[in-house]
Amino acid sequence: MNTNNNVYTVIYTTLIVVVVAALLAFVSQSLKGKQDANEKADTISQMLTAAQFGTKAEFQKIGNAAVLAKYAEEIGEAFTVDVNGNKVADLPLDKVFSPKELKRQNYNIKGGANKTGEPEIPVFVFKNGKTVVPIYGAGLWGPVWGYIAFENDLKTIAGAYFDHESETAGLGAKIKDDPAFQAEFIGEQPDFSQANVFEIVKGGAPAADGKSLVDNKIDAITGATMTSQGLDAAIDTWLGAYAKYFQTAAPAKECDMPCCQDGGECENKEVEE
Amino acid sequence: MEYLSLFVKSIFVDNMIFAYFLGMCSFLAVSKNVKTAAGLGLAVIFVLLVTLPINYLLNTYVLAPDALIEGVDLSFLSFIVFIAVIAAIVQVVEMVVEKFSPELYSSLGIFLPLIAVNCAILGGSLFMQQKDFLNIGEAVVYSLGSGIGWFLAIVSLAAIREKMAYSNVPAALKGLGITFITVGLMGIAFMTFMGISL
Amino acid sequence: MNAKLKETILNPIFKGNPITVLVLGICSSLAVTVTLKGALVMALSVIVVTGISSLILSLLRNTIPGRVRIIVQLVVVAMMVILVDQILKSFEATYAIDKQLSVYIGLIITNCIVMGRIEAFALGNKPWPSFLDGVANGAGYGMILLIVAFFRELLGSGTLFGIDILNRFGYVPNNLVILPPFALILLGCIVWVQRSIQKDLQEK
Repeated sequence: MNTNNNVYTVIYTTLIVVVVAALLAFVSQSLKGKQDANEKADTISQMLTAAQFGTKAEFQKIGNAAVLAKYAEEIGEAFTVDVNGNKVADLPLDKVFSPKELKRQNYNIKGGANKTGEPEIPVFVFKNGKTVVPIYGAGLWGPVWGYIAFENDLKTIAGAYFDHESETAGLGAKIKDDPAFQAEFIGEQPDFSQANVFEIVKGGAPAADGKSLVDNKIDAITGATMTSQGLDAAIDTWLGAYAKYFQTAAPAKECDMPCCQDGGECENKEVEE
Repeated sequence: MEYLSLFVKSIFVDNMIFAYFLGMCSFLAVSKNVKTAAGLGLAVIFVLLVTLPINYLLNTYVLAPDALIEGVDLSFLSFIVFIAVIAAIVQVVEMVVEKFSPELYSSLGIFLPLIAVNCAILGGSLFMQQKDFLNIGEAVVYSLGSGIGWFLAIVSLAAIREKMAYSNVPAALKGLGITFITVGLMGIAFMTFMGISL
Repeated sequence: MNAKLKETILNPIFKGNPITVLVLGICSSLAVTVTLKGALVMALSVIVVTGISSLILSLLRNTIPGRVRIIVQLVVVAMMVILVDQILKSFEATYAIDKQLSVYIGLIITNCIVMGRIEAFALGNKPWPSFLDGVANGAGYGMILLIVAFFRELLGSGTLFGIDILNRFGYVPNNLVILPPFALILLGCIVWVQRSIQKDLQEK
């Protein structure tokens, strides 16, 4: 068979491309429902982990159905806000934002040619008063995202969980795999009054025991400069977009600097607007 | 982002070889002399310069969610589309080089078709998807910068290896062994660029 | 015939090792060797992918037009990897595994070993030897990966498979070791050792 003549070459290539594309499209479409369900359960377990209802490994063990049930039990309120801190719309209580939706909102926050509309970013308030918000940005190789939970004073971080698509195993991947890194966030207080809301700095953030100093700085991951920088930028961008909301929705002025810094002396007032 | 800073950044700070360590195989194997290295370097610049903007356009106007038809998300095809575009361009380059410079063709050997799997090329397209360029101009500048960065790296390694021919390297370390170590040291040197913010 | 098959299997592990002799698959060996676990996952995936893609391409070898062979090879390899990814992603039990693997998908598709072996072997040989050649090359690659990862994890984090080995003795992890350039230096040393044993591989 002469495999080098033009007609054969063209037909062969076309055939291969069409068959492959059709096969992939078919598989991707027919499995989409299942994949989305898995992704949703995964996202929910990330939010629950950030809010310290358990560890990611525990949620993985109990399975999707149990994760959804736990979430339905704990979630109090979910709504979207704009960059001025005003509530835009209520969200159904079983609605979460997939990484793809976060990506779209990320475009909207940053503006530019990829913007599709005004940012409408989600806020999830749990029944125990903790508020969880997402962050999204670019790491070294691919997107990084995650959830940061706040105590009911809306100032102090109660927990954080991060995920990534393809950061280097053992280095950048530590944002997801290293509970010690995520624990560093606990107790820190982002500074919503400036553009640099939160900082992940190389060496020198004195928070080795996580309790010594309440500020808006934590230590970066050694050897993962680019991932740390990417995560830093993602947190700045997103918490920056939430800044107005956190400032206006934070409970009561009379309980300002001194008492809150000692942590939780003030009465837990209602978080909702 | 300004074009100039993007350009400089993609050559030095985001250097494909020394910052991301992409495209190492052909980088190590085809750096014995400056002339061949420059040939491969130019081929990589060309392939990057052609494939990246094409993939940018495909990504923006066909593959992105809602780009082609409202509600249709073709992004699961992006990997395979990028690769098909790259493979097609590499095939064209291979045919052109074979026709016009048989000498270069034979010295590049298997590493010419392997440009297609040169991670630097696919990496370029994937980074493009990642970096959210605002327009085609940025994509072109970025592809040119990454290509030049790769070219610069392979030519400088080839130059070092040519000089090294005169030095007294342990027999078992000659060739590939010492090249690995040289590249490692060059990589450490290039890390200083990471501290520069543009 | 059997001796030839044996040669096909044994050669890539040492004498014709894809990384240290053929110089294929270097990029991924730098990216995944910070931890032993990552190296193991990558090694197993590459063994499977090189084996099966060599088999498929070898079956197709007489029908592929020479001028578009690169496209055909890459499309087939990429399709396979993506299919596996999609299927793993849809089951609850395998979703977590897939999330770990998804990091490597790009690295596997563009791993020069896969295409290098298809170009150099599978397109000219029968399916069964091609399959063995693919698997053996994957194994040779995996072996080097594990050696590099062993030293990098031990010296860079003081652990092996995440289990503390050196830190309990007051070892301070060396941060240089977890940076990619150090993997290159280690590879150089592995080549050095190998070529001291096998003198015929030495370059003039």
